[in-house]
Amino acid sequence: MGLNHETAPVEVREHFAVPEQELGAKAKELTGLSTIAEGVVISTCNRTEIYVAAEDRQTGLEILQGHLSRGHTKEDMTHLYQKCGDDAKHHLFALVCGLDSMVLGETEIFGQVKHAYKKALEAGATKGVLNRLFQKSFAVGKRIRTNTRIQVGATSVGNVAVDLAEKIFGKLDGSHVMVIGAGETSRLVAQSMISRGASKLTVTNRSIERAKSLADELEGDVVAFDAWEETLVNVDVVVSSTGASEPVLHAAQIEAVRRKRKFRPLFLIDIAVPRDIETQAGEIEEVYLYDIDTLQQLASEARESRAKQVELCEQMIAEEINQAS
Amino acid sequence: MLILAVILAAVAAVQGASFVHRGHRSRWTVLWMLLCFIAQLTVLSIRGEMRASCPLGDTGEVLIFSAWSLTMFYMVIGSVYRLSLLGVFTAPLVCFLLAMALMPGLLDTSPERKTVVDGWRESHAAFSVLAYGALGLAAVAGVMFVVLNRQLKEAHMTTGLFANLPPVRELSKVVKRLLLFGFALLTLGLVCGLVMEKTGVANKHLYVALGQWLAYAILLLVEWRRGMPPRKLAIAAVVLFVLSLMIFPLIN
Repeated sequence: MGLNHETAPVEVREHFAVPEQELGAKAKELTGLSTIAEGVVISTCNRTEIYVAAEDRQTGLEILQGHLSRGHTKEDMTHLYQKCGDDAKHHLFALVCGLDSMVLGETEIFGQVKHAYKKALEAGATKGVLNRLFQKSFAVGKRIRTNTRIQVGATSVGNVAVDLAEKIFGKLDGSHVMVIGAGETSRLVAQSMISRGASKLTVTNRSIERAKSLADELEGDVVAFDAWEETLVNVDVVVSSTGASEPVLHAAQIEAVRRKRKFRPLFLIDIAVPRDIETQAGEIEEVYLYDIDTLQQLASEARESRAKQVELCEQMIAEEINQAS
Repeated sequence: MLILAVILAAVAAVQGASFVHRGHRSRWTVLWMLLCFIAQLTVLSIRGEMRASCPLGDTGEVLIFSAWSLTMFYMVIGSVYRLSLLGVFTAPLVCFLLAMALMPGLLDTSPERKTVVDGWRESHAAFSVLAYGALGLAAVAGVMFVVLNRQLKEAHMTTGLFANLPPVRELSKVVKRLLLFGFALLTLGLVCGLVMEKTGVANKHLYVALGQWLAYAILLLVEWRRGMPPRKLAIAAVVLFVLSLMIFPLIN
């Protein structure tokens, strides 16, 4: 029994959320209910789900509903879904594979389910039935990840940019990122780069106050808008999103610093409309230029590619359930 | 044993390519290449025993020695830089070199047993062939760089090959270091070649080798003094290696 981002809005999901440190205790609490022998509680930002093994299916369901209704309104309870037997098995298998996630195929859920199960196991809330079920689900998750492409490709503009950066530089440790134009999208992209190890950030903006505000937030430096060209010698990544009607970064500016840069790779992310970076810049050998359309197209291709894998994943899950039955 | 080595290299190439096409890492490539390495080593040991000297007496042996050297460098570099895909790219070249050695007339069936061994000649051959291994692998890494660079420039990110190729900066570093290492070995080989006793054909071979050494020297000098776009360096590594293979017919 549970609810997720598709069945319940965040204000309902937060009523059912269980803090990470209470997952084991909540699972153990379930086993104190009549006819319920085992329990596991999974709680993430997108879902809360309770898995139980009961001596009698119908009675167990009624008791669990009664238990959950305490402290929750009737309206809250209408958002819950319930699954039994092979349906519940299928749901758990699909869940660990990321098929039920907001971002199709995401891998974080696998670790979250594993963690929730571990907590329940440590609290002594699981025995034969749920132990077998969860162990099997992890095996299915691994098999699907190895044999399909469900998790391949970044599905958001920020992640596409970071994936590309890693394909160019490898680890981003020590990389220098320059942000031209302190807009929201560039903030998100810069933040993604920093979270993956970029160590230096330089922000430039026509309004120096906005540049300072973003630099303070991301612990970077500020450079005046009429002086950022000098920084081009040292940077590895440029994220540009100004509101300028003409390009702010020209191929000639990069050509002028190529030798000083010792022909190191330069990754240019142009998320402005109209574009900030002259397209000819992308023709320079060691320059990798991507505009917003390309990044969005790559994210969309990855989403489509993942969607095409769903049928294959479902077939494999069905095989596993048939084998187990 | 040589046929077995060819088959193992072919299996590594075909299976590796098939894995990569499906977007998976090819974990078996290292094993096939290791077995291929052992098979090559066995062939070279047998030939060494037959000759009572370094097995570099005919073109066939030079090809096998080059393939062995290439495989050895792949296993060292591949594990250090975690370039798992390097094997998939190296295997076809190893397979090609070994298959060439199988061509009639290239491998002497009853090699002459040497009574007097010229140390300089042996060292010249050994250093030169080891250099070929390093320079060959630089060319392989260069091909990988060119492929990935093209995919990045054209934003083709969904292929299995793209997912498995190492970053361009890593590949560029590997090309540079292998070129340097190969050049150092080539220099040692050349020095030994200049000292050894020469015949008319050997002189011709030495002139070509000098030209090859000079070409690599200029490439590295330019890269060191003024820098070079990584793509140009990668292409130069491939072109120079292909041209270097033309020295083989001049041996012996």
